[in-house]
Amino acid sequence: MSRFSTGVLTAVVAAMMAVAPALADKKGNAIRFAYDQVVENVDPFMNNVRIGVIIGQQVWDTLIYRDPKTAEYKGQLATAWKWIDDKTLELDLRKGVKFHNGAEFTADDVVYTLNFVVSPESKVVTRQNVAWIDRAEKIDAYKVRIICKEPFPAAIEYLAGPVVIHPHEYYAKVGPHGMNEKPVGSGPYRITEHSVGKYVRMERNPDYFKDSPKPQPKIEKVEIRFIPDRQTQVAEMMAGGADMIMNVALDQATQMKAVPTLQVVSGETMRIVFLHLDSREATTAPQLRDLKVRQAIMHAIDRESMVKQIVGQGARVLHTVCFPPQFGCSDEGAPRYAYDPAKAKQLLAEAGFKDGFDIDLYAYRERNQTEAMIGYLRAVGIRANLRFMQYAAMREANRAGKAAMLHQTWGSFSVNDVSASTPVYYKFGPDDISRDPEVRDFLQRGDSQVDPAVRKEAYRKALALIAERAYSLPLYSLTTYYVANKDLVFIAYPDEIPRFWEMSYK
Amino acid sequence: MTDVAAIPVLDLTAASSGALLRRRILAHRGLLIGTGLLTFIVMVALFAPLIAPHDPYAQDLSRRMIPPVWYEKGNWAHLFGTDNLGRDYLSRVLYGSQISLLIGAAVMVISGLIGTALGLAAGFFGGRVDMIVTFIITVRLALPLILVALAVVATVGGSLWVVILVLGLLKWDRFAVVMRAATQQVRVLDYVAAAEAAGASTLRVIVGEVLPNVLPQLVVVATVEAASAILLEATLSFLGLGVQPPLPSWGLMIAEAKTYMFFSFWLIAIPGTVLAILVFAVNMVGDGIRDVSAPGGRG
Repeated sequence: MSRFSTGVLTAVVAAMMAVAPALADKKGNAIRFAYDQVVENVDPFMNNVRIGVIIGQQVWDTLIYRDPKTAEYKGQLATAWKWIDDKTLELDLRKGVKFHNGAEFTADDVVYTLNFVVSPESKVVTRQNVAWIDRAEKIDAYKVRIICKEPFPAAIEYLAGPVVIHPHEYYAKVGPHGMNEKPVGSGPYRITEHSVGKYVRMERNPDYFKDSPKPQPKIEKVEIRFIPDRQTQVAEMMAGGADMIMNVALDQATQMKAVPTLQVVSGETMRIVFLHLDSREATTAPQLRDLKVRQAIMHAIDRESMVKQIVGQGARVLHTVCFPPQFGCSDEGAPRYAYDPAKAKQLLAEAGFKDGFDIDLYAYRERNQTEAMIGYLRAVGIRANLRFMQYAAMREANRAGKAAMLHQTWGSFSVNDVSASTPVYYKFGPDDISRDPEVRDFLQRGDSQVDPAVRKEAYRKALALIAERAYSLPLYSLTTYYVANKDLVFIAYPDEIPRFWEMSYK
Repeated sequence: MTDVAAIPVLDLTAASSGALLRRRILAHRGLLIGTGLLTFIVMVALFAPLIAPHDPYAQDLSRRMIPPVWYEKGNWAHLFGTDNLGRDYLSRVLYGSQISLLIGAAVMVISGLIGTALGLAAGFFGGRVDMIVTFIITVRLALPLILVALAVVATVGGSLWVVILVLGLLKWDRFAVVMRAATQQVRVLDYVAAAEAAGASTLRVIVGEVLPNVLPQLVVVATVEAASAILLEATLSFLGLGVQPPLPSWGLMIAEAKTYMFFSFWLIAIPGTVLAILVFAVNMVGDGIRDVSAPGGRG
């Protein structure tokens, strides 16, 4: 950084501190967290955005808890569980847990929540998360059975992730809509106010059960504000108006290291990034139906450079659409598409697009990465026009078949099993825009077999086929940069969930 | 004798009015500066492919965010440095002038045609035609320009031509209002009546007699509108709904540089400055033309 910009920076920081004195964050024992995406509904079943997962983990509990440090499963709302047969899981439930509205937690809550979310009328956003459940049955007040449709070995991972438990009477009365307005869970924090699209205010749950694997929260208040504009977030951080932001771009994170009141923490995440292509008959970009065109796109983008220059430390280039540590993720036998613009041009010419073509590229986050891709595509003749929007709008365009090329990212709901990533996009779900029955069948096999070796082999074949047929260009795993108040003690986990209940101030 | 005396007097006025005009133009510093700057920018836009040192679209991620040459770490290969994708900033600024000028000119022509046609018709025919045109103008003035433009662009998607069309179809109101008033004044003058008496067709009267006499006002409105269209494009692009990347629009460059405002100030300062200079130049030219052509407007 030159002397001039250091000067400007110092002046700006000084000016901001003068205007907005750092409020009582530390003294008030509160965390003010700012996030750029808005959550439509905080009910964890009714959204598929990261901030929804983050809020879900603070406010609700799951039956099982996966310790992020050891990857070990621990009982949360359940105390013990065992497979009775291939498809039936029996769980003993914890006694003495109370929801935020005072209701006692019992088997009825588990049975009602699970049976509600699997019913088609519940309109759960990511069906993949619950589609494996056939039904839940109450054995007694503190014992339940979950019956899977087919053998589903990844069940524990889901019960430790996106499948939260709602209080049954309250949920039956208000439904997902009411749950969004006045959320009630049993987690370490309870929501005191949710102003949709603006902020979520939470305070420590004083009655949080002592035996929970989530430690008792130390921070009293957490405020999550939705600030779509990055620069405003950065300004808030520098002025002491916020205590933590995440997903900060490499450039800004590097520059903010120079600010004495802040700390920058980074780490690889489970979030994978891929360029999703609509290759179906009815695609809005008929060029993509040609395998050669899709292969040309694979060869056009320099993923190594992108990772090195703009994604950041810890990220890795992917060759298949899954996160490598996930169970079943493999790139064995999948073709490697090296960065080779000459070959890309040649493939385009062979496909009959010597002069390239125009296409809309949909995107919703890390805009600088999208623009870098636009630059690479342009260099081989594909003129991509950026359509940048909120995630909900892009998902809508994807599901309506309007978007033929999407800069997609997927965090797998932090589930460490391929069934939470690849099948979402290739198993004929609403987001599947390649619809290959062969791929679907392999994925189905992987999802439903018990034998780990059989599962791995099935996923491997599906992933290799997706790569071979170039349905999507796997790009890289993301690194996330957190910028926080320098006194805040926290850990950056790969599952991208800030655990406010573990945090404290020095 | 009256004839003899009249001719030299007429000659004298004709000669001195031409010379006077020239003198007025040369004495009007604002007009000269504005014209100079504008000519320079037009030249830059026309010859951008020849003078730009690099391809404005060529990205090189290993050469990102190089500061301009006047910074410690700057170098002469990239006079204005490079942007966040390693594209040469000077080349993008040079090519960006093409987009700003194209938008300014195209919007001016489209809205000028619509507005002038409506204004002339209303002012010339009066009565019911005037009533209808006035109604249309009132409706148009009731529409919040930026909101409508944003809504349209959000629905059909942003691109250079969409922006030009949307702005062109929305920004004719000032043309219409000014042309209507000016035509009403000229309409009742003797030479119009004379032309009509001589049997000239309505079209001929409007094009041959009325239009040339409202031209100064038209030119002034046109420059004001061009400048405002350039700014509006920058606004739309800044909001992400105008010209789309990777086109080097100045508004878009400002929007993208916003992220780096605190730390890499030049990224926002350079396109911001050139945009201000262009709008300033266009406005100076407009003011100058008004001053020298309409004596009443001289301060």
